[in-house]
Order: sequence, then structure tokens, then C-alpha cells
Amino acid sequence: MEKEWPENVNVSVKTMDVYEKLHILTDAAKYDVACTSSGVDRRGDGTGTGNCEKAGICHSFSADGRCVSLLKILFTNECIYDCKYCINRSSNDVVRATFTPDEICQLTMDFYRRNYIEGLFLSSGILKSPNYTMELIYTAIYKLRVECRFQGYIHVKVIPGASQELIQKVGFLADRMSVNLELPTKESLHLLAPHKSRKNILAPMRYVQNKRNENKQELTVYKHVPKFVPAGQSTQMIIGATPETDYQIMKVSEALYEKFGLKRVFYSAFVNVNEDTTLPMQIEQGPPLLREHRLYQADWLLRYYRFKIDELLDEKNPNFNVLMDPKCNWAVQHLERFPVEINTASYDALLRVPGIGYLSAGRIVKARRMGKVDFADLKKMGVVLKRALYFITCNGKMMYPTKMEQDYIVRNLLDAKEKLPDSVRNMNYQQLSLFDDTVQGVVEDGQKNLYLS
Amino acid sequence: MVKRIYICHDTREGLFSALYDAWKERRETGEAGIAFYGNLEAELFCEYVETIPSTQKVNAVERMIWKNMGSEAYGRIYQASKSTDPEKGTAIFQTMVAARNIEQSNKIMDHLTNPAVKKVHDLSKTVGNEQHFFKEILRFKELKNGILYARIEPRHRIVEGIAPHFENRLPLENWLIYDARHQEFALHEAGKKWILVSDVPVDEELLKDVSEAEREIQRLWKQFFHDISVKERESDIRQKRMLPLKYRKNMVEFE
Repeated sequence: MEKEWPENVNVSVKTMDVYEKLHILTDAAKYDVACTSSGVDRRGDGTGTGNCEKAGICHSFSADGRCVSLLKILFTNECIYDCKYCINRSSNDVVRATFTPDEICQLTMDFYRRNYIEGLFLSSGILKSPNYTMELIYTAIYKLRVECRFQGYIHVKVIPGASQELIQKVGFLADRMSVNLELPTKESLHLLAPHKSRKNILAPMRYVQNKRNENKQELTVYKHVPKFVPAGQSTQMIIGATPETDYQIMKVSEALYEKFGLKRVFYSAFVNVNEDTTLPMQIEQGPPLLREHRLYQADWLLRYYRFKIDELLDEKNPNFNVLMDPKCNWAVQHLERFPVEINTASYDALLRVPGIGYLSAGRIVKARRMGKVDFADLKKMGVVLKRALYFITCNGKMMYPTKMEQDYIVRNLLDAKEKLPDSVRNMNYQQLSLFDDTVQGVVEDGQKNLYLS
Repeated sequence: MVKRIYICHDTREGLFSALYDAWKERRETGEAGIAFYGNLEAELFCEYVETIPSTQKVNAVERMIWKNMGSEAYGRIYQASKSTDPEKGTAIFQTMVAARNIEQSNKIMDHLTNPAVKKVHDLSKTVGNEQHFFKEILRFKELKNGILYARIEPRHRIVEGIAPHFENRLPLENWLIYDARHQEFALHEAGKKWILVSDVPVDEELLKDVSEAEREIQRLWKQFFHDISVKERESDIRQKRMLPLKYRKNMVEFE
């Protein structure tokens, strides 16, 4: 690999240098959420550069507090599609740039050997046609994997509409692939992304899933078969650009986890960059970060806590409670199941107690084999007692005398203050106090169930 | 019997030699402690003994821990010994004594109710976390002669812990990690095993001479780092929580 940069540093649109291109194509890629480098454990073989750690490595944190793990760039921001929410849509007048495969390889290698990044995240606008673009992406990562002998992490976006043959070729080089679902329902997709179809998005997802299953079986027979998308696939949805309810969104996620075997679904609070008439205005309150946070909380409940979305929401209550996290909210509505006895309850029952995470639930199950567990022990195991105390007993006793009443518990839980991410706390202060008002309004209306409806 | 405190230097050889002596003389009662030069706090009703370090002692103790307490305990103890906590020697010794008094010595690390075991466990966790953190935030700079150089200032002695990671990751590069706080180096020559060098005086001025390409790439990286943030979501508090200021000292993007 050569170590010198091309000589021409003069910036003009025609002979744009790497610096300028990186500026444009990073700026265009930043709205993509996924920046994880987890899921593969691969040692370097000593002939190239790079390895992968199972848990992933975040190398830095940008000014918005999100982790920087991969070199997240677009191949090109030229696009033949005109999706309403996207800054790179064809009708926008923005400076366009396209990397060459060599530039991508060189940037990745140079950043990687300085330990800036864990690998490459390559997405792209659609140049000429889906297949043409996918072919370009393939060329770039083929060069990176084979010529530069790069063994770090590679995440590739699948271009909807690209041929299966190309997806297969890319899949054997990449660690993770993702197709963006963009919007939760077909109707919204039709409205905001008229050139994309649900079919074109789900088809590659299904294909990657099948191919991965096939590959897993091959791997059990022949150990050294090349691996296909070893870190699995993910997707993302834009939240708050269209009128879908939380229930609809989470239903879609649940289906994706169950039927498509996805590793992660990401939710991206909508940021209005185009001011299109079909899009909601965002003047004061900014992106719906609290809502995004609630969706992630529910997402965790699906993946780690064995919840079904129908338990958390239904047609009548289609949105999450702004004041309380979904797990607490579920618990106070199901007081008949509580309190649970820490020393005898099943693992599944422990998982459902607010304040007990899946790690502490595991610790409790282990520890109670050795002897009785008490509140002091729970604290050491990482249980958040200020939330859990209303729902548990240790050796038949509660921590304090508490009433098993919905209103009483809700009041106390709200007093205990939930720990929200800093970004949400900052930006949604306005939004939160607004909701406070509405809740008070509800109380005056004499509705029975103030926080829970 | 009067409690005996073994004094040694805060090095691998010193600590493990002290453990050897303490084990030899006081394993029955456990009435012993280990203290380090430069960190001595005189206790009442104690006698103080200076340890004579030797490689044989180190090997004997390590072999014994490995054989009787198992690989998990060995790993934990080894990692705890890299900590800067002055209590670490005593905690390790008491853990060894505790292991001797239970039936299955190789399960010793499960006995977290024992304060010494808990201490070793916590120390090893702290060191392990810092180790992982420096795998993330360490930054190499390319010097004029093509060597990649990284300067770090960790609290604990973690160079030994992170060097294998970079050896596997960058096997074909010449690199150098310098722990400025503990004056330790990890040196790696392309295609070879890495080595640890300590107590060598360093002229840091020599290490400031970066290559032409380096400046260009730093500029690109800073640009990228700036561009990747979404303006509408910016939050200084959140960034500080995820990446505290004290760690940003040797990071290119915050220079």
C-alpha cells in the first residue's frame, strides 16, 4: 500500500480531493444510526491488518454523545431516488461527490492502523441503478479485504433492488449487512419514498437470512467454509416522520426479530433536513428523542426480557407512557402478579420486576443456591431497589411497609425519578413539561387512571 | 505471633517474591501483610521485613497459584497485581490463605463474601476495564521513520494487558506504546513478538517528529469526527459522560 496522498490539494468541484469528499460523504452518512462493531470474534491471521472483538470497540464519542466505532461514509451521495426525508434526494441541490474504491481502501487502512476506527461502514446513494451501485460497493470491499488484507469489521448497506448474486458476493466479504426498512408501514413508504417498495426491501432481508442459515449448516460440516454475514443483519426505521403509533412500530420490530432473524432494529428520531410539505415541522421541540428512547427500552424488553409487544401496548393504548418506562408501566398494571419472592420466584418472573435487569436476575438465581438472599445482597448484585421494592419480598418480607395500590406505587415511582439519557433530558425539557400539563388536565377531568391510559 | 509486614518494590518480581516469603512463613495463620516502598504506613504491633526479590520465588508462587487455584484465579490475581492500589499485595495474600482453607481451592473466586477475595475481584475488574478503555482511545501517530507511536497515561499498569491485542491487530507494523506515567514501553517489530521495556530514560522530543502523511491524516480524521455528529442531537453532558475529559489528553480528535 502506498503511503502518500495524491499531490493535487487544490479544491475545485471537478478535481475534488479526498478531504473535500470525506467532508461531503460523512455529512451525508451521519443520519444512519448503526455504528456497532459487535458480533464477530476474529483473530488476525498475521498476514494482514486487523481483528474483531465480539463485544465491539467504540473508539470515540462525537459531540452528540454517539459512539464512533466505524468509518461511516457513503460511497456516493448522488442518487436517482427522491425520498422526501433524505438530504441526498435527487431534487435537492447539494454538492455531490463519489469516492473511488482506492480512496475508500486508503482511508480505512490509514485510520485503522492509527486505532481511530474498528472498521468500515459503507452505505451509498443510488448511482445509475441499484445493481451498478452494489457492484461498486463490491469492488471497494473486495479490494479492501483481498488486496489490503483488511481483517477488521465491515458493515455494508444493501441497496434495495440489487441482484441476489451481488448480495451473495458482498455477504461473503462483509461482517454485517443491513437493509433499511426506512418507515414502518407500506403506506408511509409509498408516501415518502415513492421509488422504494416494501418488496424490494424485504426480499434481500429474507435472502440474507436464508443464506445465513444455509451457511451455518455448512459450517457445522466443513469448518473452514467462508462465513456469510457472520455478525448478522440489522435494519433501521425513521420515527416521527409519519403518523404510525408506537404499537405499530413495535409490532413491525417484533415481526422482524421473529420472522427475519434480525440482530438489531434501530430507531432513528426523525430530523427534518428538507422542510418538505409532507413532513412534520420541527421548530422548537427538535427530534423526538424521548420517544426514540422509549422504543429502545421496549426493544430491549423484546430481546432480553421475553416480553411480547401485545403485553405492553394494544390498539386502545397504542403509545408508550412518556412519564414511565415500559417495564414499570407494565408492572403497575399487573399488580396481581406481585410481589414476587426473590428466593423462590422463577427466572422469568424475576425478569419482569422493574429494577431487576437480566444480569442481576442471573446473579440472584445463582446466589440463592448458596443461601437466602436478602435486600442488602440484592443491592450488591446491582438491583435498583428504589424501583424494585414495591414488587418484591425477601424471605416473605417487604423492604418497607408498602401499599399494593396502583396510585400509591405510581406516585412513588415517579418521585424516584427515572434516569433518562442526558441528551433526552436536555433537549426535551420543554416537551416533558408540556406533557406534565396534559396529565394534570386529565386528572381534572376526573379520569380514574391518570398516568396509565 | 506478631503480624509481619513484608516490604517490597511495586514490581512483578518484588510483589511475587514477597508473596513467596509470606506464604512460606505465615500461611498457617495468615497474620501477614505486604507493603510497598514509597507507600509505607507504619502500623502498631507489627514487625517489618524486607523482601529479597528473586526469579525463582516468582516462578514458584506463580506455579503454585496456577496449579492449586486454577486459571481463573490466576488471571484475576495477575490482573489485580497490575493495579496501583497499595492494599493489593495483602488482598492477594489473604485470598491465597482463604483458598487454602476451603475444600475446592479452584473455586476460590466464587467466594465473594470473603473481603480479600472481593477486593482481588474488584481490583482485577478495575484494571480490566481500564485495559479495555485504552484499547478504544489509544491513538497511534506515524513518526518520520514509519514507526507508529502511542502515548498513554493510564492509572494502572496496563501496557502488558493491551500489547497482545495490538500485536494481533497490527502484526506487520513497527509500533511503540509508551506509558508515560509508569515509564513502560511495549515495543513491537513487524512480524515478531512484542517486548516490554521499562526504566529507560526517554527523550519525548524525538517522538514528536511525525511524518508528512500523518498531518494530512490527522486533518482528515478531525474533519470526519466533526462531521459525524448530528447537530440537532448535540449534548455536551452526554459526550462528557461517555468520554471524560481526563482521557482526552492524548487523543488526536481533541487536540
